[in-house]
Amino acid sequence: MEAPPVTMMPVSGGTINMMEYLLQGSVLDQCLESLLHRLRGLCDNMEPETFLDHEMVFLLKGQQASPFVLRARRSMDKSGMPWHLRYLGQPEIGDKNRHALVRNCVDIATSDNLTDFLVEMGFRMDHEFVAKGHVFRKGIMKIMVYKIFRILMPGNTDSIEPLSLSYLVELNVVAPAGQDIVSDDMRNFAEQLKPLVHLEKIDPKRLM
Amino acid sequence: MGVTCVSQVPVAEGKSVQQTVELLTRKLEVLGAEKQGTFCVDCETYHTAASTIGTQGQTGKLMYVMHNSEYPLSCFALFESGPCLIADANFDILMVKLKGFFQNAKANKIETRGTRYQYCDFLVKVGTVTMGPSARGISVEVEYCPCVIANDCWSLLMEFMQSFMGSHAPSLPSVFGTKHDSIYSPSDTMVQYMELFNKIRKQQQVPVAGMR
Repeated sequence: MEAPPVTMMPVSGGTINMMEYLLQGSVLDQCLESLLHRLRGLCDNMEPETFLDHEMVFLLKGQQASPFVLRARRSMDKSGMPWHLRYLGQPEIGDKNRHALVRNCVDIATSDNLTDFLVEMGFRMDHEFVAKGHVFRKGIMKIMVYKIFRILMPGNTDSIEPLSLSYLVELNVVAPAGQDIVSDDMRNFAEQLKPLVHLEKIDPKRLM
Repeated sequence: MGVTCVSQVPVAEGKSVQQTVELLTRKLEVLGAEKQGTFCVDCETYHTAASTIGTQGQTGKLMYVMHNSEYPLSCFALFESGPCLIADANFDILMVKLKGFFQNAKANKIETRGTRYQYCDFLVKVGTVTMGPSARGISVEVEYCPCVIANDCWSLLMEFMQSFMGSHAPSLPSVFGTKHDSIYSPSDTMVQYMELFNKIRKQQQVPVAGMR
Protein backbone atom coordinates (compact mmCIF):
# COMPACT_ATOMS: atom_id res chain seq x y z
CA MET A 1 0.00 0.00 0.00
CA GLU A 2 2.03 2.91 -1.34
CA ALA A 3 1.52 6.30 0.28
CA PRO A 4 -0.05 8.83 -2.08
CA PRO A 5 1.91 12.08 -2.59
CA VAL A 6 1.36 14.52 0.25
CA THR A 7 1.82 17.71 -1.76
CA MET A 8 -1.52 19.12 -2.75
CA MET A 9 -1.93 21.88 -5.31
CA PRO A 10 -2.35 25.23 -3.62
CA VAL A 11 -5.44 27.09 -4.72
CA SER A 12 -5.56 30.84 -4.70
CA GLY A 13 -8.15 33.04 -6.35
CA GLY A 14 -7.65 33.18 -10.08
CA THR A 15 -4.91 30.57 -10.49
CA ILE A 16 -7.08 27.94 -12.02
CA ASN A 17 -9.69 29.70 -14.07
CA MET A 18 -11.53 27.71 -16.64
CA MET A 19 -13.81 29.42 -19.11
CA GLU A 20 -16.77 28.03 -20.96
CA TYR A 21 -17.14 29.08 -24.62
CA LEU A 22 -20.72 28.63 -25.80
CA LEU A 23 -22.76 28.80 -29.00
CA GLN A 24 -26.45 27.90 -29.07
CA GLY A 25 -29.19 27.30 -31.58
CA SER A 26 -32.27 25.17 -32.02
CA VAL A 27 -33.96 22.83 -34.51
CA LEU A 28 -37.59 21.79 -34.84
CA ASP A 29 -38.40 18.18 -33.96
CA GLN A 30 -38.90 17.21 -37.59
CA CYS A 31 -35.37 18.33 -38.51
CA LEU A 32 -33.63 16.38 -35.74
CA GLU A 33 -32.65 13.31 -37.78
CA SER A 34 -30.88 15.23 -40.53
CA LEU A 35 -28.92 17.21 -37.95
CA LEU A 36 -27.90 14.03 -36.10
CA HIS A 37 -26.89 12.47 -39.41
CA ARG A 38 -24.62 15.42 -40.24
CA LEU A 39 -23.14 15.47 -36.75
CA ARG A 40 -22.35 11.76 -36.93
CA GLY A 41 -20.40 12.49 -40.10
CA LEU A 42 -18.52 15.55 -38.82
CA CYS A 43 -17.74 14.50 -35.27
CA ASP A 44 -15.30 12.04 -33.74
CA ASN A 45 -16.02 8.43 -34.40
CA MET A 46 -17.55 6.95 -31.31
CA GLU A 47 -20.58 5.02 -30.13
CA PRO A 48 -23.64 7.27 -30.32
CA GLU A 49 -24.18 8.57 -26.83
CA THR A 50 -27.53 9.60 -25.40
CA PHE A 51 -28.20 11.11 -22.02
CA LEU A 52 -31.12 11.64 -19.67
CA ASP A 53 -30.25 14.15 -16.96
CA HIS A 54 -32.13 15.86 -14.18
CA GLU A 55 -30.89 19.34 -13.41
CA MET A 56 -31.77 21.48 -10.40
CA VAL A 57 -30.86 25.14 -10.14
CA PHE A 58 -30.13 26.46 -6.64
CA LEU A 59 -29.93 30.07 -5.47
CA LEU A 60 -28.26 31.59 -2.43
CA LYS A 61 -29.67 35.00 -1.62
CA GLY A 62 -27.52 37.46 0.24
CA GLN A 63 -27.44 41.18 0.61
CA GLN A 64 -25.89 41.43 -2.83
CA ALA A 65 -28.37 42.32 -5.57
CA SER A 66 -27.91 39.12 -7.51
CA PRO A 67 -28.14 35.69 -5.87
CA PHE A 68 -25.41 33.10 -6.29
CA VAL A 69 -26.48 30.39 -8.73
CA LEU A 70 -25.33 26.78 -8.67
CA ARG A 71 -26.49 23.98 -10.95
CA ALA A 72 -26.72 20.40 -9.71
CA ARG A 73 -27.09 17.74 -12.35
CA ARG A 74 -27.48 14.00 -12.06
CA SER A 75 -27.76 11.22 -14.59
CA MET A 76 -31.09 9.42 -14.60
CA ASP A 77 -30.10 6.61 -16.94
CA LYS A 78 -26.50 5.80 -15.97
CA SER A 79 -26.03 4.39 -12.51
CA GLY A 80 -22.94 5.02 -10.40
CA MET A 81 -22.10 8.38 -11.98
CA PRO A 82 -21.23 11.21 -9.59
CA TRP A 83 -23.43 14.28 -9.41
CA HIS A 84 -22.19 17.31 -11.32
CA LEU A 85 -22.13 20.68 -9.61
CA ARG A 86 -21.55 23.66 -11.85
CA TYR A 87 -20.93 27.33 -11.28
CA LEU A 88 -21.21 29.70 -14.26
CA GLY A 89 -20.05 33.29 -13.98
CA GLN A 90 -21.31 36.37 -15.77
CA PRO A 91 -20.59 36.44 -19.51
CA GLU A 92 -17.39 38.31 -20.26
CA ILE A 93 -17.91 41.57 -22.02
CA GLY A 94 -15.26 41.05 -24.64
CA ASP A 95 -14.87 42.56 -28.07
CA LYS A 96 -17.72 42.13 -30.50
CA ASN A 97 -15.44 40.08 -32.74
CA ARG A 98 -15.36 37.23 -30.26
CA HIS A 99 -17.55 34.59 -31.77
CA ALA A 100 -18.71 32.73 -28.68
CA LEU A 101 -20.18 33.58 -25.30
CA VAL A 102 -17.40 33.33 -22.72
CA ARG A 103 -17.97 32.86 -19.00
CA ASN A 104 -16.05 31.56 -16.03
CA CYS A 105 -17.00 28.04 -15.06
CA VAL A 106 -16.20 25.66 -12.23
CA ASP A 107 -17.17 21.99 -12.57
CA ILE A 108 -17.17 19.74 -9.54
CA ALA A 109 -18.00 16.05 -9.26
CA THR A 110 -19.71 15.23 -5.98
CA SER A 111 -21.29 12.45 -3.97
CA ASP A 112 -25.04 11.95 -4.20
CA ASN A 113 -26.02 13.87 -1.04
CA LEU A 114 -25.38 17.12 -2.93
CA THR A 115 -28.90 18.57 -2.65
CA ASP A 116 -29.04 18.01 1.12
CA PHE A 117 -25.68 19.67 1.43
CA LEU A 118 -26.63 22.70 -0.66
CA VAL A 119 -29.78 23.20 1.43
CA GLU A 120 -27.65 23.02 4.58
CA MET A 121 -25.40 25.73 3.09
CA GLY A 122 -28.45 27.94 2.68
CA PHE A 123 -29.25 27.37 -1.00
CA ARG A 124 -32.86 26.97 -2.09
CA MET A 125 -33.99 25.26 -5.28
CA ASP A 126 -35.29 27.73 -7.81
CA HIS A 127 -36.34 25.42 -10.64
CA GLU A 128 -35.61 22.02 -12.14
CA PHE A 129 -35.92 20.30 -15.50
CA VAL A 130 -35.06 17.11 -17.32
CA ALA A 131 -32.80 17.11 -20.38
CA LYS A 132 -32.87 14.22 -22.83
CA GLY A 133 -30.77 14.00 -25.94
CA HIS A 134 -27.54 13.20 -27.72
CA VAL A 135 -23.94 14.23 -27.18
CA PHE A 136 -21.11 14.33 -29.74
CA ARG A 137 -17.47 15.32 -29.50
CA LYS A 138 -15.00 16.83 -31.91
CA GLY A 139 -11.61 17.26 -30.27
CA ILE A 140 -12.23 19.48 -27.27
CA MET A 141 -15.61 20.63 -28.57
CA LYS A 142 -18.76 19.10 -27.18
CA ILE A 143 -22.02 19.25 -29.13
CA MET A 144 -25.29 18.51 -27.38
CA VAL A 145 -28.69 18.16 -29.03
CA TYR A 146 -31.37 17.82 -26.39
CA LYS A 147 -34.94 18.46 -25.44
CA ILE A 148 -35.95 20.13 -22.22
CA PHE A 149 -38.85 18.70 -20.24
CA ARG A 150 -40.87 20.46 -17.59
CA ILE A 151 -41.38 18.49 -14.36
CA LEU A 152 -45.09 18.51 -13.53
CA MET A 153 -44.79 17.62 -9.86
CA PRO A 154 -41.75 18.82 -7.92
CA GLY A 155 -39.37 15.98 -7.22
CA ASN A 156 -41.16 13.49 -9.47
CA THR A 157 -39.12 12.98 -12.61
CA ASP A 158 -41.51 10.39 -14.04
CA SER A 159 -44.23 12.83 -15.03
CA ILE A 160 -42.63 15.23 -17.45
CA GLU A 161 -43.77 17.09 -20.53
CA PRO A 162 -41.72 18.67 -23.31
CA LEU A 163 -41.23 22.40 -23.00
CA SER A 164 -41.30 22.99 -26.77
CA LEU A 165 -41.51 21.30 -30.17
CA SER A 166 -37.80 21.74 -30.75
CA TYR A 167 -34.36 20.59 -29.65
CA LEU A 168 -31.76 22.89 -28.17
CA VAL A 169 -28.33 22.60 -29.82
CA GLU A 170 -25.26 23.65 -27.86
CA LEU A 171 -21.63 23.76 -28.90
CA ASN A 172 -19.32 24.29 -25.98
CA VAL A 173 -15.70 24.09 -24.98
CA VAL A 174 -14.21 24.37 -21.50
CA ALA A 175 -10.68 25.73 -21.73
CA PRO A 176 -8.26 27.78 -19.63
CA ALA A 177 -8.74 31.54 -19.74
CA GLY A 178 -7.15 33.46 -22.57
CA GLN A 179 -7.53 30.92 -25.36
CA ASP A 180 -9.61 32.98 -27.72
CA ILE A 181 -8.56 30.88 -30.69
CA VAL A 182 -11.10 28.38 -29.38
CA SER A 183 -13.97 30.59 -30.45
CA ASP A 184 -12.59 30.75 -34.01
CA ASP A 185 -12.55 26.94 -34.19
CA MET A 186 -16.09 26.88 -32.86
CA ARG A 187 -17.26 29.37 -35.46
CA ASN A 188 -15.70 27.30 -38.23
CA PHE A 189 -17.44 24.18 -37.00
CA ALA A 190 -20.74 26.02 -36.68
CA GLU A 191 -20.44 27.07 -40.35
CA GLN A 192 -20.47 23.40 -41.33
CA LEU A 193 -23.79 22.87 -39.61
CA LYS A 194 -25.54 25.57 -41.62
CA PRO A 195 -28.27 25.65 -42.87
CA LEU A 196 -29.54 22.81 -40.68
CA VAL A 197 -28.97 24.86 -37.55
CA HIS A 198 -27.68 28.38 -36.93
CA LEU A 199 -25.47 28.46 -33.84
CA GLU A 200 -25.06 31.90 -32.36
CA LYS A 201 -23.71 33.72 -29.39
CA ILE A 202 -26.80 34.34 -27.27
CA ASP A 203 -26.41 36.60 -24.25
CA PRO A 204 -28.75 35.25 -21.52
CA LYS A 205 -29.23 38.71 -20.04
CA ARG A 206 -30.86 39.99 -23.21
CA LEU A 207 -33.57 37.37 -22.91
CA MET A 208 -34.70 38.47 -19.45
CA MET B 1 -11.43 2.22 2.89
CA GLY B 2 -11.51 -0.18 5.82
CA VAL B 3 -13.02 0.57 9.21
CA THR B 4 -11.00 3.35 10.82
CA CYS B 5 -10.74 4.75 14.31
CA VAL B 6 -9.34 8.24 14.90
CA SER B 7 -8.38 9.23 18.43
CA GLN B 8 -6.20 11.50 20.48
CA VAL B 9 -3.28 10.43 22.62
CA PRO B 10 -2.44 12.76 25.51
CA VAL B 11 1.08 14.14 25.77
CA ALA B 12 3.13 11.98 28.17
CA GLU B 13 3.83 13.40 31.61
CA GLY B 14 6.93 15.55 31.56
CA LYS B 15 7.48 15.09 27.84
CA SER B 16 6.94 17.24 24.76
CA VAL B 17 4.54 16.53 21.90
CA GLN B 18 7.42 15.42 19.70
CA GLN B 19 8.82 13.07 22.34
CA THR B 20 5.43 11.43 22.87
CA VAL B 21 5.06 10.91 19.13
CA GLU B 22 8.49 9.27 19.10
CA LEU B 23 7.50 6.95 21.97
CA LEU B 24 4.44 5.82 20.02
CA THR B 25 6.24 5.31 16.74
CA ARG B 26 9.03 3.39 18.45
CA LYS B 27 6.43 1.01 19.94
CA LEU B 28 4.99 0.50 16.46
CA GLU B 29 8.38 -0.22 14.97
CA VAL B 30 9.16 -2.75 17.71
CA LEU B 31 5.87 -4.49 16.86
CA GLY B 32 7.12 -4.82 13.30
CA ALA B 33 5.29 -2.01 11.52
CA GLU B 34 6.89 -0.60 8.37
CA LYS B 35 7.16 3.08 7.60
CA GLN B 36 5.29 3.90 4.40
CA GLY B 37 5.57 7.58 3.66
CA THR B 38 3.79 10.48 5.30
CA PHE B 39 0.25 11.71 5.60
CA CYS B 40 -1.59 14.95 6.17
CA VAL B 41 -5.18 15.77 7.10
CA ASP B 42 -6.19 19.41 7.24
CA CYS B 43 -9.35 21.30 8.12
CA GLU B 44 -10.44 24.83 7.25
CA THR B 45 -13.40 26.56 8.84
CA TYR B 46 -15.91 28.71 6.96
CA HIS B 47 -18.69 30.65 8.57
CA THR B 48 -21.71 32.17 6.91
CA ALA B 49 -21.06 35.86 6.28
CA ALA B 50 -23.19 38.33 8.21
CA SER B 51 -24.88 39.41 4.99
CA THR B 52 -26.65 36.09 4.47
CA ILE B 53 -27.82 35.55 8.04
CA GLY B 54 -31.44 36.45 8.43
CA THR B 55 -32.24 36.69 4.73
CA GLN B 56 -33.36 33.09 4.45
CA GLY B 57 -34.04 32.46 8.10
CA GLN B 58 -30.75 30.72 8.64
CA THR B 59 -28.54 31.17 11.65
CA GLY B 60 -24.78 31.41 11.39
CA LYS B 61 -23.31 28.02 10.64
CA LEU B 62 -19.85 26.57 10.58
CA MET B 63 -18.77 24.59 7.55
CA TYR B 64 -15.57 22.57 7.55
CA VAL B 65 -13.63 21.87 4.37
CA MET B 66 -11.12 19.08 4.84
CA HIS B 67 -8.49 17.31 2.80
CA ASN B 68 -6.90 13.92 3.36
CA SER B 69 -3.65 12.98 1.64
CA GLU B 70 -4.97 9.42 1.32
CA TYR B 71 -7.44 10.83 -1.23
CA PRO B 72 -5.41 13.56 -2.94
CA LEU B 73 -8.01 14.41 -5.59
CA SER B 74 -10.89 14.78 -3.15
CA CYS B 75 -12.24 17.41 -0.86
CA PHE B 76 -14.62 16.76 2.05
CA ALA B 77 -17.09 19.41 3.15
CA LEU B 78 -19.16 18.96 6.28
CA PHE B 79 -21.37 20.61 8.83
CA GLU B 80 -21.13 19.67 12.48
CA SER B 81 -24.14 17.41 12.65
CA GLY B 82 -25.08 17.49 9.02
CA PRO B 83 -24.25 15.82 5.76
CA CYS B 84 -20.67 15.25 4.60
CA LEU B 85 -20.15 16.00 0.93
CA ILE B 86 -17.35 14.29 -0.97
CA ALA B 87 -16.29 16.42 -3.95
CA ASP B 88 -13.29 16.72 -6.21
CA ALA B 89 -10.52 19.26 -5.71
CA ASN B 90 -12.39 21.98 -7.64
CA PHE B 91 -14.58 22.48 -4.57
CA ASP B 92 -11.80 24.67 -3.14
CA ILE B 93 -12.11 26.93 -6.18
CA LEU B 94 -15.87 27.14 -5.61
CA MET B 95 -15.26 28.28 -2.02
CA VAL B 96 -13.12 31.11 -3.38
CA LYS B 97 -16.05 32.17 -5.61
CA LEU B 98 -18.37 31.97 -2.60
CA LYS B 99 -16.26 34.26 -0.44
CA GLY B 100 -18.99 36.86 -0.29
CA PHE B 101 -21.25 34.35 1.45
CA PHE B 102 -18.81 32.13 3.36
CA GLN B 103 -15.82 33.58 5.09
CA ASN B 104 -12.70 31.53 5.71
CA ALA B 105 -11.66 31.77 9.36
CA LYS B 106 -7.98 31.46 8.49
CA ALA B 107 -6.86 31.48 12.12
CA ASN B 108 -8.87 28.31 12.72
CA LYS B 109 -7.03 26.21 10.16
CA ILE B 110 -5.84 23.06 11.84
CA GLU B 111 -3.92 20.08 10.47
CA THR B 112 -2.22 16.89 11.47
CA ARG B 113 0.92 15.59 9.81
CA GLY B 114 3.03 12.56 10.48
CA THR B 115 4.20 9.14 9.42
CA ARG B 116 2.21 6.33 7.92
CA TYR B 117 2.88 2.79 9.15
CA GLN B 118 1.71 -0.50 7.74
CA TYR B 119 1.43 -3.53 10.00
CA CYS B 120 -0.06 -6.54 8.19
CA ASP B 121 -3.65 -5.52 7.46
CA PHE B 122 -3.52 -2.40 9.61
CA LEU B 123 -2.59 1.09 8.54
CA VAL B 124 -1.54 3.38 11.40
CA LYS B 125 -0.99 7.11 11.11
CA VAL B 126 0.51 9.01 14.03
CA GLY B 127 0.39 12.76 13.55
CA THR B 128 1.19 15.99 15.32
CA VAL B 129 -1.83 18.29 15.35
CA THR B 130 -0.84 21.89 14.71
CA MET B 131 -2.76 25.11 14.59
CA GLY B 132 -0.62 27.85 13.09
CA PRO B 133 2.87 27.52 14.46
CA SER B 134 2.00 25.64 17.64
CA ALA B 135 1.68 21.91 18.22
CA ARG B 136 -1.59 21.24 20.00
CA GLY B 137 -1.78 17.47 20.37
CA ILE B 138 -1.33 14.03 18.87
CA SER B 139 -3.72 12.16 16.60
CA VAL B 140 -3.68 8.43 15.96
CA GLU B 141 -5.61 6.89 13.08
CA VAL B 142 -5.87 3.10 12.89
CA GLU B 143 -7.46 1.43 9.88
CA TYR B 144 -8.26 -2.26 9.53
CA CYS B 145 -8.25 -2.49 5.76
CA PRO B 146 -10.00 -5.79 4.98
CA CYS B 147 -13.22 -4.98 6.83
CA VAL B 148 -15.85 -2.40 5.92
CA ILE B 149 -18.50 -3.17 8.53
CA ALA B 150 -17.75 -1.41 11.82
CA ASN B 151 -19.53 -3.85 14.09
CA ASP B 152 -17.64 -6.81 12.69
CA CYS B 153 -14.13 -5.70 13.60
CA TRP B 154 -14.34 -3.25 16.49
CA SER B 155 -13.00 -5.75 19.04
CA LEU B 156 -10.04 -6.60 16.81
CA LEU B 157 -9.26 -2.91 16.26
CA MET B 158 -9.50 -2.30 20.00
CA GLU B 159 -7.11 -5.16 20.78
CA PHE B 160 -4.58 -3.90 18.25
CA MET B 161 -4.77 -0.34 19.55
CA GLN B 162 -4.24 -1.51 23.11
CA SER B 163 -1.05 -3.29 22.03
CA PHE B 164 0.71 0.00 21.32
CA MET B 165 -1.49 2.68 22.91
CA GLY B 166 -2.00 0.85 26.20
CA SER B 167 -4.51 2.59 28.41
CA HIS B 168 -4.91 5.44 25.93
CA ALA B 169 -6.84 3.22 23.52
CA PRO B 170 -10.14 4.96 22.80
CA SER B 171 -13.73 3.84 23.29
CA LEU B 172 -16.19 3.22 20.47
CA PRO B 173 -16.31 6.34 18.24
CA SER B 174 -19.71 8.00 18.03
CA VAL B 175 -19.92 7.54 14.23
CA PHE B 176 -19.92 3.78 14.70
CA GLY B 177 -23.01 4.00 16.88
CA THR B 178 -25.22 5.04 13.98
CA LYS B 179 -23.58 2.79 11.39
CA HIS B 180 -24.99 -0.59 12.52
CA ASP B 181 -24.28 -2.82 9.54
CA SER B 182 -23.86 -0.22 6.84
CA ILE B 183 -20.62 0.07 4.90
CA TYR B 184 -17.90 2.25 6.36
CA SER B 185 -16.88 5.17 4.16
CA PRO B 186 -14.12 7.80 4.09
CA SER B 187 -16.60 10.48 5.20
CA ASP B 188 -16.91 8.63 8.53
CA THR B 189 -13.16 9.06 9.00
CA MET B 190 -13.40 12.78 8.18
CA VAL B 191 -16.21 13.22 10.71
CA GLN B 192 -13.98 11.63 13.35
CA TYR B 193 -11.14 14.01 12.43
CA MET B 194 -13.50 16.99 12.61
CA GLU B 195 -14.60 15.97 16.11
CA LEU B 196 -10.99 15.46 17.15
CA PHE B 197 -9.92 18.85 15.80
CA ASN B 198 -12.84 20.58 17.53
CA LYS B 199 -11.91 18.93 20.81
CA ILE B 200 -8.27 19.96 20.46
CA ARG B 201 -9.21 23.54 19.55
CA LYS B 202 -11.15 23.83 22.78
CA GLN B 203 -8.37 22.34 24.88
CA GLN B 204 -5.90 24.61 26.55
CA GLN B 205 -2.76 25.10 24.60
CA VAL B 206 0.13 22.82 25.58
CA PRO B 207 2.28 24.96 27.92
CA VAL B 208 5.34 26.44 26.22
CA ALA B 209 7.73 24.67 28.61
CA GLY B 210 6.51 21.29 27.37
CA MET B 211 6.96 22.15 23.68
CA ARG B 212 10.13 21.90 21.70
